[in-house]
Amino acid sequence: MVKSTSKDAQDLFRSLHSAYSATPTNLKIIDLYVVFAVFTALIQVAYMALVGSFPFNSFLSGVLSCVGTAVLAVCLRIQVNKENKEFKHKTVVTNLRGIVAMFVIAV
Amino acid sequence: MMNLSRSVALISLFLLPLLSFSFSVDNPTDRRVLVLLDDLSLKSSHSIFFTTLKSRGFDLDFKLADDSKLALQRYGQYLYDGLIVFAPSTERFGGSLDSKSIADFVDSGRDLILSADTSASDLIRGIALECGVDFDEDSSAMVIDHSSFSVSDGDHTLIAADDLVKSDAILGKTKIEAPVLFRGVAHSLNPTNNLVLKVLSASPSAYSANPSSKLSSPPQLTGSAISLVSVMQARNNARVVISGSLQLFSDRLFRSGVQKAGSPNKYEKSGNEQFATELSKWVFHERGHLKAGSLVHHRVGETDEPAIYRIKDDLEFSVEILEWSGKSWEPYVADDVQVQFYMMSPYVLKTLSTDKKGMFHTSFKVPDVYGVFQFKVEYGKLGYTTLSLSKQIPVRPYRHNEYERFIPTAYPYYGACFTTMAGFFVFSFVYLYHK
Repeated sequence: MVKSTSKDAQDLFRSLHSAYSATPTNLKIIDLYVVFAVFTALIQVAYMALVGSFPFNSFLSGVLSCVGTAVLAVCLRIQVNKENKEFKHKTVVTNLRGIVAMFVIAV
Repeated sequence: MMNLSRSVALISLFLLPLLSFSFSVDNPTDRRVLVLLDDLSLKSSHSIFFTTLKSRGFDLDFKLADDSKLALQRYGQYLYDGLIVFAPSTERFGGSLDSKSIADFVDSGRDLILSADTSASDLIRGIALECGVDFDEDSSAMVIDHSSFSVSDGDHTLIAADDLVKSDAILGKTKIEAPVLFRGVAHSLNPTNNLVLKVLSASPSAYSANPSSKLSSPPQLTGSAISLVSVMQARNNARVVISGSLQLFSDRLFRSGVQKAGSPNKYEKSGNEQFATELSKWVFHERGHLKAGSLVHHRVGETDEPAIYRIKDDLEFSVEILEWSGKSWEPYVADDVQVQFYMMSPYVLKTLSTDKKGMFHTSFKVPDVYGVFQFKVEYGKLGYTTLSLSKQIPVRPYRHNEYERFIPTAYPYYGACFTTMAGFFVFSFVYLYHK
């Protein structure tokens, strides 16, 4: 039984990996950015767990800015994804609008 | 009209020196003392004690205890600064005196020497009770000590006592070498009363009983619980001496030699005269009277007193304490004056150091708590007047611009913000212009 479950896990992982490689590059760029932002937030949480929450304001500003930009990047990905049937926009406009909205709000 | 104003001016000129003949804040030694006797022969039998008082500048006014013209105050002003009651058998005072008027006298800050003898009337007991001293209820009881008596005595009622309180303020700097002779009644003090103090205690082998009859039951007052002479310093710094023996102050005991039973030392002169003189100096505020100037505090490096401190400020505190020497104010020297920085409980307690000229100072850092604090100096040394000074001062936290600009612990968070900004910038370029 153990062997089969590990084999199942490996099969699962391989199928996910092949499915993911099929996504367009622009979406992969957004995904990378999201991972980067969340990773930065996690590093800050680990640091706070180490040294305590003394300048709590600074901790909040760091973590929330990372998480916020991750969330906005996810919104962008949703809007830009061609396979998503809910959004039907023209390509160039979509891109620019999404980016501008994210920029303004992030700042 | 001219005559009236001139006579008024003359009268007030006469009254002026009278007004200065009383004790005041600047000159705390008493001046006029009323001496109540129940027998005028006490004037001669206790002449040494009274002469020493007169030679120190006191104005003694001798009156019989049942003199009908006795009055302590007239028109609301007290006529005397001190009262000596050497009238142990008087049942009722004459004039307007009674135990309540004597209690008011002490409440006004004036001093009292009260003495009982082999018999103490209820009046004297009542006055002593007001001051916290309990005489033995048995009116025929005297202090008997079969191992600490004077060898010249037959029935062991003349005690040679040397258990004196250790206080330079009350008994003077010179040690009283010879024992003090005592013949009289015993009294005890309530142990929870922290204003009374035993100056001369009986030895552990003393007890209070009737010397001429057999003991039917164990005596109530025994041992060191018996006080022979006690003092009380009231909260307004009035001083009261209560003695169980009038003979202690008499010329006969002043002059007699003393040898304690069981001890080889024979003294030419008993310690009575020195004891009585030193005690009278203390009770009439010639010694042990302190005065404090105002509390001064300021930040280190400044001289003005700020209206508010900030937490973690360095501040300096000083107070001036003077001691009355009998004639002038001298700087007080001690190493146990403390100041508290107090808000519900002392956050800082520091012993002040002195420059031997009367200034006591210290410096400390304001604690990391904000609120309204008090500088408190509470000084209650044995035999000295109690000092109770306080000054209020608020303490505030940091203002928003008094923090450090960049907190070192928070550098990772600053870094994270900047990398997020950089990452966003790079991402936007890459996303827009990739192939």
